[in-house]
Amino acid sequence: MRGRLEHPMKRAVRALAGTRPLPALALALTLVAGGFAVWAGQDWYDAAHDDRAAYAGQRDAVLAAGEQAVQNLNTLDHRDVNRGLDLWESSTTGELHEQLITGRTEFADQVKAAKTVTTARVLSGAVTELDDRAGRARVLVALRVTVKADDGAKTDKDSRMLGELTRTDGRWKLSALGQAPVGGTSDG
Amino acid sequence: MSTTRHHINRQRRRQARETRPAGPPQGAPGEAHEPRPTASAGPARGAGGRGRASGTAVPSGRATDPDAGGDEKGARVRARRPAGLLVLCALTLLLGGFAGWAHAKAGALRDEPARRNTALSDPARTGEIKGQTAEAVDALFSYDHTDPGALEKAADGLLTGQAVEQHRTLLADVRERADAQKAVITTTVTDSAVERIDGDRARVLVYADQSSVSTAGSTKKAKGAKDAQDEGVYAGAMLAVDVVRRDGRWLVSGIDTFGR
Repeated sequence: MRGRLEHPMKRAVRALAGTRPLPALALALTLVAGGFAVWAGQDWYDAAHDDRAAYAGQRDAVLAAGEQAVQNLNTLDHRDVNRGLDLWESSTTGELHEQLITGRTEFADQVKAAKTVTTARVLSGAVTELDDRAGRARVLVALRVTVKADDGAKTDKDSRMLGELTRTDGRWKLSALGQAPVGGTSDG
Repeated sequence: MSTTRHHINRQRRRQARETRPAGPPQGAPGEAHEPRPTASAGPARGAGGRGRASGTAVPSGRATDPDAGGDEKGARVRARRPAGLLVLCALTLLLGGFAGWAHAKAGALRDEPARRNTALSDPARTGEIKGQTAEAVDALFSYDHTDPGALEKAADGLLTGQAVEQHRTLLADVRERADAQKAVITTTVTDSAVERIDGDRARVLVYADQSSVSTAGSTKKAKGAKDAQDEGVYAGAMLAVDVVRRDGRWLVSGIDTFGR
């Protein structure tokens, strides 16, 4: 009869104290831990299978390859033309690659005669387009090209490069390279 | 003897019961059953009493469930309890550990520089930034000597932070010359690409054409700009622009002309 008059809350508290608190607590903790585990696992899975992330990784790979290739193709030392041109060829694919091979001998003779050392520094670069599946991309690379003549005179020239990359055998290589046209006409 | 036991049991039960309603219609039949099973299952009482606490948590089960059965169950539960508790503890640690580890892994993945940069991987935002940056560069680097207010307005509305000073320095020369030659300078972005987007900040590489044409005081701006296409002096420019998002608009916060 006394129980009926007691406040229900008080009774509940006493009842709880009377049950086995340890297993109940352990079970509750396990359930909470299980909940966290499911949530964290799901979160991890999502993070690992994020399409955008994979795409972002490709974008960075394209940019790194593009900047390096553009720099390679603007670097040439007349004292070591062959090694330089080998690098050009290994950085390119497709039509651009064919063009380089075709004009190689003539170009090498020109550079040897001019005795110039050309170096390039990438100022900035960014990817404009990336088709992940087709393996095609376009990049902008702002370049500062320094040409050192035989008499030691140095000239700097900024180049606004537009490059097209194609994925060949898992590697991104330049398939086209040119300068952004000024005033509707190409100056390079 | 039976009465005392009865009384003790009643008290125990009252303490142990969680959800049992205290009303007499349920209490009375339960107590009527009490003495018989209690007497037979005396030795298991201690365990049975506690075991039953959960067993009788459902009030309807109480009237039909003989107490003796509850006691046996209680004994089984008691025997299993330390092992069960250990399993629960181990499971808790295991699950908790996994949760922490997975959380750290997910966090590390999200913090990768490639992911933090959403340029291109977020096409909507990339397009928005490209469009607004091109518009801003067009306006900020164009100057008509007949309408100097237009440039001031563009500068006020599109620049923020250190870009204000950078823009003033860059344009001071240009304005002076344009005013002297009564020239119209028109800048048009020809190519742009977003290098990096990190939340509300981004960096854009911009190629632009700049034409400068002497209009000798012509007020027909549209015609002047058109003429510039035919007779103007063209120059190609490249710059990297930092933009920051404020109230839904991307404002120029830094201008990098690569030391030129």
